[in-house]
Amino acid sequence: MKAKKNIKRTVGALAAAYAGLFCVFYFDLDGKLLYYVVEPFMKRHFDNMERRDPHTVPYEQIDSEYMKK
Amino acid sequence: MRDLKHLIYFEDLLQEANNDLVRKGKEDGNLCLGYTCYFMPEVLLDLPGCFSVRLRAPRCTSPDMATYYMSGRTCHYGRSLLERALEGGYNFIDAQLATETCTVTCRFQEHLDYMDGVINNASFKTEFTDVPFKKNENSIDHYEKQLKIHVLDFLNREFGVDTSDEAILKAIELNNEVNDIVTAIGDYRKLDRPTITGYEFSVITLVSMCCPKYLIIDKLRETLEELKTREPDDKPNYKIKVMLAGSENDDPDFIKLIEGCGALVVADRYCYGSLEARNHINVEEGDTPLRAVAKHYLLTSQCARFMEQQEMRHRKKVLADYAKDYQADGIIVASNKFCEYWSYERMIDTIVLPRDYGFPVCSIEKEYINTASGQLRTRFQAFVESVELKKIQEGK
Amino acid sequence: MKKPDLKKLKEIDFKKAAKDFVYGKPHEERRLGDLYIPKTGLYKHREWRGIKDTMYYFNNIWLYNYGKMVMDIVELGGPKGLIQFLKGTWRYRWMGECYLTVMHWFDRGLEGMRGPALRASAWHYRAMVNASITQIVGMFVRDQNLGGNKELHDKTIAHDETVWGGVFYPYKDQLENIPLQMIPYFVTCHVNNHVVLNYIDAVQAYGLPGDPCPMCQAEAGLFIEDDVPDFYPALVTTNEACDGSVATSVIQDWLINKPLFAMPQPMQFDDDSVLENCAKEIEGCFRFVEEQCGVEFHWDELVKHLEAQNELQRFEWEKWDVDANTPYYPINGVAQALYRIFQSQYGDRPIWHEVDGRVRKIMEKCVEEKIETFPKTRHRVIAWSCAPLYYSNWCTWAYNCWGLNTVINMDSLMFDMEIRTDSYENCLMDMAKYHEWAPMRRMAVGGLHHIFELWENMEKFNCDMVMMYDQLQCKGMQGVVGLFEDEFRARNIHAIWMPHALPDKRTIPRSQIRQIINDYMTTVMGEEPLDPTLLDFDDSDSW
Repeated sequence: MKAKKNIKRTVGALAAAYAGLFCVFYFDLDGKLLYYVVEPFMKRHFDNMERRDPHTVPYEQIDSEYMKK
Repeated sequence: MRDLKHLIYFEDLLQEANNDLVRKGKEDGNLCLGYTCYFMPEVLLDLPGCFSVRLRAPRCTSPDMATYYMSGRTCHYGRSLLERALEGGYNFIDAQLATETCTVTCRFQEHLDYMDGVINNASFKTEFTDVPFKKNENSIDHYEKQLKIHVLDFLNREFGVDTSDEAILKAIELNNEVNDIVTAIGDYRKLDRPTITGYEFSVITLVSMCCPKYLIIDKLRETLEELKTREPDDKPNYKIKVMLAGSENDDPDFIKLIEGCGALVVADRYCYGSLEARNHINVEEGDTPLRAVAKHYLLTSQCARFMEQQEMRHRKKVLADYAKDYQADGIIVASNKFCEYWSYERMIDTIVLPRDYGFPVCSIEKEYINTASGQLRTRFQAFVESVELKKIQEGK
Repeated sequence: MKKPDLKKLKEIDFKKAAKDFVYGKPHEERRLGDLYIPKTGLYKHREWRGIKDTMYYFNNIWLYNYGKMVMDIVELGGPKGLIQFLKGTWRYRWMGECYLTVMHWFDRGLEGMRGPALRASAWHYRAMVNASITQIVGMFVRDQNLGGNKELHDKTIAHDETVWGGVFYPYKDQLENIPLQMIPYFVTCHVNNHVVLNYIDAVQAYGLPGDPCPMCQAEAGLFIEDDVPDFYPALVTTNEACDGSVATSVIQDWLINKPLFAMPQPMQFDDDSVLENCAKEIEGCFRFVEEQCGVEFHWDELVKHLEAQNELQRFEWEKWDVDANTPYYPINGVAQALYRIFQSQYGDRPIWHEVDGRVRKIMEKCVEEKIETFPKTRHRVIAWSCAPLYYSNWCTWAYNCWGLNTVINMDSLMFDMEIRTDSYENCLMDMAKYHEWAPMRRMAVGGLHHIFELWENMEKFNCDMVMMYDQLQCKGMQGVVGLFEDEFRARNIHAIWMPHALPDKRTIPRSQIRQIINDYMTTVMGEEPLDPTLLDFDDSDSW
């Protein structure tokens, strides 16, 4: 009896999850979350990230043998 | 300084591609062979019975027809050449020896090939040579093979030109004579107080590229003689000495503009400049003349299209070495608008040359014919002032 | 409470509404433009395509691919791979801002598609996602910036995205090859084109003018921004496709500062006398890889992958045959173009075979049952020259709005050959040729006669219209616009010039591209749109 109930609950939960996901899909909620929340947050993060200054990268003379072959 | 005897004559020769000497060369029964890029060895176009002309489009300020064909978003130089061709300005050339060494000049030359009658000359033909991007043995082999097929065999097949080793050696001899004279003239720029201006030298270099060599060599020789006794002005009319590096420039007035701002141009490493175009061609033991030519043009070039790692880095050092050798106080790196090679090269030169070699750099973008001289003048004046200040601070 | 308006209710045709619900609306009644939220490109709600196709989209595309976007990472990189993946998402802009927007890239490309066209095109997208994840995981598990595996790092070669991956087939059992820019630049432009603008701006901030090819600018900008993982001990660059690519190498070399092998292709590539040079450069590359990564040349490995690649090529030819000669071809213009360029450039991978198998089934069914996959086709279009990466889905829009069916494009036709494996010499020569026939190289530069292969391909694919891409900063194509105009007039061909700046939507916005097409269709062709809501809408800030 309990098992049956559990199965019912699981099926119900799965059905609800499926219906929920369908709503997310149909109403483009994933897109809205990404567009209005995730992307601006990530953009701020990357804009504030400390980056290497290219001027500090050396530019040494080299003599590579590969190209001479 | 005393005026150079032949300067006005030289200047006149540069007013149009089909100048008096070119006409004379043709009247003498020679083939006139056009080219645009250093990678088409002019020496092979100067074989007996031929002469080379490096194409220019002097005074072309508004390439309207060419802009229809190539849009307004391509290099002004390439478009100006096409404009001049469409105007009938290159009808005198018998063949165009072409290279795909930069996109827009390639497209210009393809138009000559593709469009019926753009060159109104029944014998006219265009032939393309593939030029490698590296300087290794494979590249030299490849380049030699290409020159054999697309220059020598082409000239022999289409025009009956003698392309024997003896003929090539003869052409090398003539070219070396011109190279040595122009180099010797250019060496006067190395003096503490140079006895030739950048403008004058640019005119001399250009006539050596745009006229039959056998017709111009005497005047060049005379000019060299003249320089031996030429005295510099008591008071220099320049404030600093600079090297001009970058992409295509065949406009002496551009040099004049720089010099008008107080910067004497003492070294010229750009397309149509003398460095490395006027280096002596050596035929080493064991090399055929063609092999020697292939080696010379590939190994001397400091073009921004070379892609090997050591070459990409080495050419910055070469610029610095030239600047040092010619006692330049700074370097002007100029790229033509829409020139992709030099857009990038200029960017990195502007960072590396001051940082690693201590040379101040003025980085500018220009057109083929510089109508925007006011803006450029401001840039150059500011650069001259900053270098002067630096010199004062360093107590020089 | 407001009473329902019975009069209005009476006007509703319930039978038709039920039919639309079950089967989806007819093309002319879809009003796809009404679904957009202005500026964003987001949907008020996703399109209802009828029960079958909507549920297919939801289950087999949306859910399946979201799921796969997690599962693929675990399959390819293990649990550690997942951690590295998260670290990479936090470290690299092109990753952090793009990964989750992938499903909207599907949406844009598959708008309005139904039945086999929806399915086959979606499979192509799926393959590209898997191939992208393969590269992303490959980069991150090796990335020294993220504390990745040093041993794997040392057995990896990086290369320009325009170096054909097949060059590294002889070492497939010993090392991984990963293109440097294929994901950080190329894929992200399609998925979320906001990202690439940062790289273009970055390189210009260091003095690069705005006029060189923006693709090359963006590629250089990636290194200026230090936004490329450190997953390799050495790299291979190339001159493909143009002067800008050559010049970009200078910036890459400076900022990467690792051993670099330049493997340029000859420019005059249809001249047989250049093949030997190219082949020797490939051999030079072999030596470089062997010395840098401590690997050996395995002929059997090379043959195995080349044969597999030849199989992919043969199927591509079959597809072209159906595409050219029937109305039953089930792949839309954007899926055709992107899949083909991705697959042929990246080289042989298991996912291509898996997906080709699925697409073959769909295509064969269409042919057998004579299913017209794009039934509203008014014009068969060939797209020529380099495409706008920020609006690669323009062809989906053009079909929905105007019935312009883009059946083939220039990039698809590039690597059009099998490679012989009967001897080392033949194989090497064919590899050289294949390498030379890369996208943009064979037609955008390297002899204008190749660009004019357009005419024969128009005939071959039975096209009556040309969408002429006008990449404003491509010197090779700009240098030939007038000759094209002359030829179009002489041949009496309907051609629409589509200006764009490859990855940079700021130069020519998507709305402007649509307007140009709209104007041509109304004024020159005198036609009415199939879906007028798609004529004008604002998607200026969309991904």
